[in-house]
Amino acid sequence: MGVKYSINIGLIGNPNVGKSTLFNALTGSHQHVGNWPGKTIEKKEGEFIFQDKKIRLVDLPGCYSLTAYTEEEAVTFEFIQNEKPDTIIQIIDAQNLERNLFLTIQLIELGAPLVLALNMADLAEKEGIKINVQELALLLNVPVVVIDAKTKKGIDSLMRASFKQALSKNVCRPAKLTYGRDINDELNKISSFLNNQKDLAQKEIDWTAIKLLEGDWRAVKNIRKKSYFPELKDLVRQSIARLGTVFNKNINTILANTRYGFIRGLCQDAVIRKKVSAHKKWSEKFDNIVMNKFAGLPIFLFVAWIIFQITFKVSEPLTGLLEKLFIFLGDKASFFLAAAGMPDWSISLIVDGIIGGVGGVLVFIPIIGILFFLIALLEDTGYMARVAYIMDKLMHRIGLHGKAFIPLILGFGCNVPGIMATRTLRTKKDRLLTILISPFISCGARLPVYALFTAVFFSAYQGWVIFSLYLLGIILAIAMGLIFKKIFFKKLSSPFVIELPPYRLPSLQGLLIHVWENLWSFIKKAGTIILVFSIIIWFIASVPFGVAYGSQDSLAGKMGQTISPVFKPLGFDNWQSSVALLFGFVAKEVVVGTFGTLYNVDDIESEEGESFLGNALQNDFTPLSSYAFMVFVLLYVPCVAVLAVVKRETNSWKWPLFMVGYTTTIAWVMAFIIYQGGKLIGFQ
Amino acid sequence: MNKKSLIEFQEGEKVKINCVECGLGFKKRLGELGLYDGSELEIIKNDGSGPVIVKILDSKIALGRGEIAKIYGRKI
Repeated sequence: MGVKYSINIGLIGNPNVGKSTLFNALTGSHQHVGNWPGKTIEKKEGEFIFQDKKIRLVDLPGCYSLTAYTEEEAVTFEFIQNEKPDTIIQIIDAQNLERNLFLTIQLIELGAPLVLALNMADLAEKEGIKINVQELALLLNVPVVVIDAKTKKGIDSLMRASFKQALSKNVCRPAKLTYGRDINDELNKISSFLNNQKDLAQKEIDWTAIKLLEGDWRAVKNIRKKSYFPELKDLVRQSIARLGTVFNKNINTILANTRYGFIRGLCQDAVIRKKVSAHKKWSEKFDNIVMNKFAGLPIFLFVAWIIFQITFKVSEPLTGLLEKLFIFLGDKASFFLAAAGMPDWSISLIVDGIIGGVGGVLVFIPIIGILFFLIALLEDTGYMARVAYIMDKLMHRIGLHGKAFIPLILGFGCNVPGIMATRTLRTKKDRLLTILISPFISCGARLPVYALFTAVFFSAYQGWVIFSLYLLGIILAIAMGLIFKKIFFKKLSSPFVIELPPYRLPSLQGLLIHVWENLWSFIKKAGTIILVFSIIIWFIASVPFGVAYGSQDSLAGKMGQTISPVFKPLGFDNWQSSVALLFGFVAKEVVVGTFGTLYNVDDIESEEGESFLGNALQNDFTPLSSYAFMVFVLLYVPCVAVLAVVKRETNSWKWPLFMVGYTTTIAWVMAFIIYQGGKLIGFQ
Repeated sequence: MNKKSLIEFQEGEKVKINCVECGLGFKKRLGELGLYDGSELEIIKNDGSGPVIVKILDSKIALGRGEIAKIYGRKI
């Protein structure tokens, strides 16, 4: 049931040029996100109609060149080679023309059906940069269309040019970049050799020759197995050696020099520059303040604090509303189902299992939505890059990348958006390392447990005890980061290189679409898993049918009793704790409620409920064992939603399972040390 | 050859790169951003610790100290 598309278009460009904005402008809500096969980068595809033709648009990851140094570039290159799109639109940032053209040159050499979309020309003009579009198009021999992705200006012209490019049968030879006599000689030698093999098309030969000289073996995968390859390799090696002697420089340096030289010459013809304007000076001043050696960090901490406040203050009433809505739904459903004569177990399944389960998912939405919106705002304005610069100094010492700071900070609210935010890290290794240590950043859902136990056992020192828990979490996160680095990521971490884009005002539509995408993918993936587990928990708590939900006689209770000996050395081997911890696997908020249910407290929110629960707990815990318990809750397995998101971000079940194992092990060990150590010292 | 590591230059100084000593992969990465043997840049920020910010072509790039120490050049 494949949809027949008129044309396939690939969207390419440097990071920060407005590619997403254009993609959203063209596809609106008709887009979906998947994964490139075998890779962790998301694949964004969309479709739209133009002049009665259906168009498939693929958003390729931002990249600076086609030499496959990172996963993003590999994905882009393979897409162009294998899927052979009808047209490739490269978005160019007028404020950064020379560097953007570096990619253009490679696309031209590859013989891609190219159309250039010149974006942000108005912003460039404010900085005194005026581009002669006709001259540029002439010199490159590629169509250039001026657009404004934010206001959608020029989109029609762009699409018309793209169609023209797609339908033109004869591949018009774009300007052939000349590398100077010496390099051209060597390239000709390689091209002739390939020509004689009568194996590849002319276009492919030129491209292959350059890639071979560059030493980009991944780009020439398809000829590696050929019989002539060993001879070819020798030829190339000789050429490289010869050129190295002639220029006394590395081949890539020579090629980069030539490419940029060509670009510089081109820009001298096509670009007029005026003196630096007032606008630029303003953003320079801002940067000086924001990245100041002393003021930079405090300013950022203030911004982070504001983000937190906004997120939690605004989401709280929304979350409360959602919770009330689900309780209401649950009540009504019970009533109607009972009136309809449905058997008790089915009512319980629908109300406790399904409605409760789905509610558990949707409750995350306000927090994630608002947090993501604010983060996207910081990113799209360009401030986030400055934050990575500020934090790198500190993060570097603990072996992490500067950009890992934001995802970890987010974890204090909820680990789910925190983990999703690791996408801003460029390499898989950095992302994985950050994800692996994130569970120890104590999330908001664990807080009710601390609040309950510290109120009962440490009432005078509540604040300090809770603070000590958070601190323990942070220390362990750093420690695990360093350990993982030594074991898994022995190679040096990715070099710290980031572009600090000029400050820009993002488009509201772009931001909202971006947030919605993330939200929807969370709901889909995490939602299904949470629902499944909620039903499983419901089942465990309800059988054998007829027992009180989650009581000692239920399967859950029996499981609790079976597990509880494991906790004896930690000081809390009462079966209720085991059941609560078990349920906490689905969602940490559930732990407190479970205690309430298991100790038969009707309403924990009420004063008597509280004191009743408090008394019950005092029978089963001592201050020392309660602290050990809280440490266990702090460290043990993250909730199912987190595991689901980790699976999605790492594209495998290996890592979530590993997380379950190692966090629980460390939790047990730390609680053990605290309880036994405490007893030795003399605490009770 | 008059060669000083970029890490030793001060804010505001303009530098012409004459040597990049690092692995091929990273060299390519620097190259595609405009940092290669022969290109000219301006040091925007060098605090003595933390990443260094340079202006290359028309953009600002922040580089870790370990990375920028491997790039050498002379003042222009």
